[in-house]
Amino acid sequence: MNNERIAFDAIVVGAGLAGSAAAMVMARGGLKVALIERGQKPGGKNYFGGAIYTHAIADLVPDYMDRRPPFERPVTEAGFWFLGKDGLTRMTVQGGELNAQPADAFITLRANFDLWWAEQAQAAGAFLIPKTAVVDFIREDNGQAGAVIGVITDRPQGEVYAPVVIICEGVNNILTQKLGLINRDLEPAQMALAFKKVISLPMETINARFGLADDAHGLAVSVLGDVSLGLPGMGFVYTNKASVSIGLGVMLDTLAEYRLRPYDILQRYLDHPAIAPLIKGGQLLEYGGHLIPEGGYRAMPKLCTDGAMVAGDAAAMVNALHWEGTNMAIIAGKLAGETALEAHSRGDFTAKVMSRYEDRLSEGFILKDLRQYRGFSRFLETHPQFMDVYPNFVNGALGQFFTAYGKPKKELFKGMLGSLTNQRGLAKAAGDMVAMARSVMGW
Amino acid sequence: MFHALVAIKQVPDTTNIRIDPVTGNLVREGVPAIMNPYDAHALAAAVEWKRKLNGRVTVVSMGPNSFITTIREAIELGADRGILVSDRKFAGADTLATSYVLAEVIRAIHEQDPLDLIFFGKQAIDGDTAQVGPGVAVRLDMPIVTYAVAIRAVDLDDATVVVERKTERWTEVVETPLPALLTCEKDIAEIPFAPLPDLIRSLRYEPEVWTMDGPITFDTEMIGVRGSPTIVYQMGTPPLPEPGEKISAREEGIEAALAFTFKKAQEAGVLQTMIGGAQ
Repeated sequence: MNNERIAFDAIVVGAGLAGSAAAMVMARGGLKVALIERGQKPGGKNYFGGAIYTHAIADLVPDYMDRRPPFERPVTEAGFWFLGKDGLTRMTVQGGELNAQPADAFITLRANFDLWWAEQAQAAGAFLIPKTAVVDFIREDNGQAGAVIGVITDRPQGEVYAPVVIICEGVNNILTQKLGLINRDLEPAQMALAFKKVISLPMETINARFGLADDAHGLAVSVLGDVSLGLPGMGFVYTNKASVSIGLGVMLDTLAEYRLRPYDILQRYLDHPAIAPLIKGGQLLEYGGHLIPEGGYRAMPKLCTDGAMVAGDAAAMVNALHWEGTNMAIIAGKLAGETALEAHSRGDFTAKVMSRYEDRLSEGFILKDLRQYRGFSRFLETHPQFMDVYPNFVNGALGQFFTAYGKPKKELFKGMLGSLTNQRGLAKAAGDMVAMARSVMGW
Repeated sequence: MFHALVAIKQVPDTTNIRIDPVTGNLVREGVPAIMNPYDAHALAAAVEWKRKLNGRVTVVSMGPNSFITTIREAIELGADRGILVSDRKFAGADTLATSYVLAEVIRAIHEQDPLDLIFFGKQAIDGDTAQVGPGVAVRLDMPIVTYAVAIRAVDLDDATVVVERKTERWTEVVETPLPALLTCEKDIAEIPFAPLPDLIRSLRYEPEVWTMDGPITFDTEMIGVRGSPTIVYQMGTPPLPEPGEKISAREEGIEAALAFTFKKAQEAGVLQTMIGGAQ
């Protein structure tokens, strides 16, 4: 057995969206990159709703459509569904921006997409090491506080050396904690648990039930209202080629507090009279879930230290309202990779150079958005009426509007308004809207 | 120096498998391909002895190019050399044609670099025939020990191996001259978690690919569909047996439960004589 050190120019921990992006950029820059993944294959541990935005993909792989990405359908219709007790109001948009070619977002499954994404990094020259978990760091001078100069994996003779390590370990940020970039464990109040079923249906059935012309059209919606038992959370529906991804996300502390089981909430949602017919007769292909770090800006760790940077879910780069996270991960991975290249060209891997990563993040949308939305993570929690009062009001009001009661319309409108003011005073409702705007605009 | 050969097969992970209800075929889409578990344990045993005796391990597999991942996995687990026997003309082989091809390959390797032990899994989890290992042993005129659960000793000077084999009733301890062929149960060795350097070597490893064009020749009458007399008439899932009737002794009482059972057995004609007082 040889006792030579295993050494690379850079190590990326985790072949998810951020990790493969970082590896791709560094390999293209001529670095010898080890991309270490604990799953059998890239994507094996990853899960989302979901749809992925193409702007981030195109940023790194401009000819991505020629490389046969495993997309299910483009998102050609998007919006909100408001689920009442027994009704559903749909507010979706199609055409216009959503007709862009190629589309702004594609529906996909992470097990497929992440594998393809890692292949792009491998094609650029990154060396993928699967089935291997990084458990700790090698620090300079064997110290506990020295610069990071490598990683220790769970395998025998498992040390790998490199002057720079990019941590893209995902939501369960054990290594980020180990490095002292964040000094607390994950907090349930900052975590959403998202879970879904993938239900197979014939392509034609999906097209007919969701009003899609063909499999070049796809629907992606957020579902508010009677999804989460009035608890802070949001549902979603995505049409795959021949299956539907349908599920919801609920804050973890809420699940714990009310002792709710995810599959019970999900089943209740799927049994809803407006939802059940959409998936009727389908066969369950998959049931799964994943944590999402929705703590936002305030939950972010320090993003770098001597010899290391953090990107993606490990750094809480998620915009919960806009279902953004994958695109942030890709761009953050790219920026971390560029910073590693800069460090190599300067021969300086200290925190001073690593902090250029933070500068790069601040210049783009990621830190700007995360700062702006810093108040949103707790918004739904403090405004439960967005989960029951308003969705029910919208359903009730529209239902009444389109019903001929044989009564003067003025009375009718008064009644409609009353259905809201009974539950939530007008001033309070106005206040909710302002609060919503504030949390979104970051005022 | 000790030289072991392990024959490995890539199989669909049957713990994940679905059967198409219409055609009766396995639905392979989305089902991960793995190294046949019995082969993996056999390989682990070979590597164990390689380390004890300071030898080397060669693995051989027959199949399409996608089997390269399984050969790499064997390198990860400690094999030194991997050979993929792959040619479209081999396609459609049953166990007869497969054991012919493997025997020819193993013979050629043996002539080049003499083998001491040849390992097979006891059977593959997809076909479950347990025929290829014995088929190869017969062709090579080599002693075979099937259902091996442990290797007690390998003596290279005396050219003998002592193997424990499991039978339905007991464990037999068999001594046989080398070279010998073993088909292995999972007990033969634990699959180790490979050291990182071995994993990295495996990821970069390019197996040798042997085809009809060389390095050895095969009799075209003996390979592929032509060399395979087996004809699959139909594939299907056996119907689930009807669940038996249940009677609860706790609710009905022991007497009633026994009476019910005896009555059923008598009706079915499986009970000839009744002893004792049950009615």
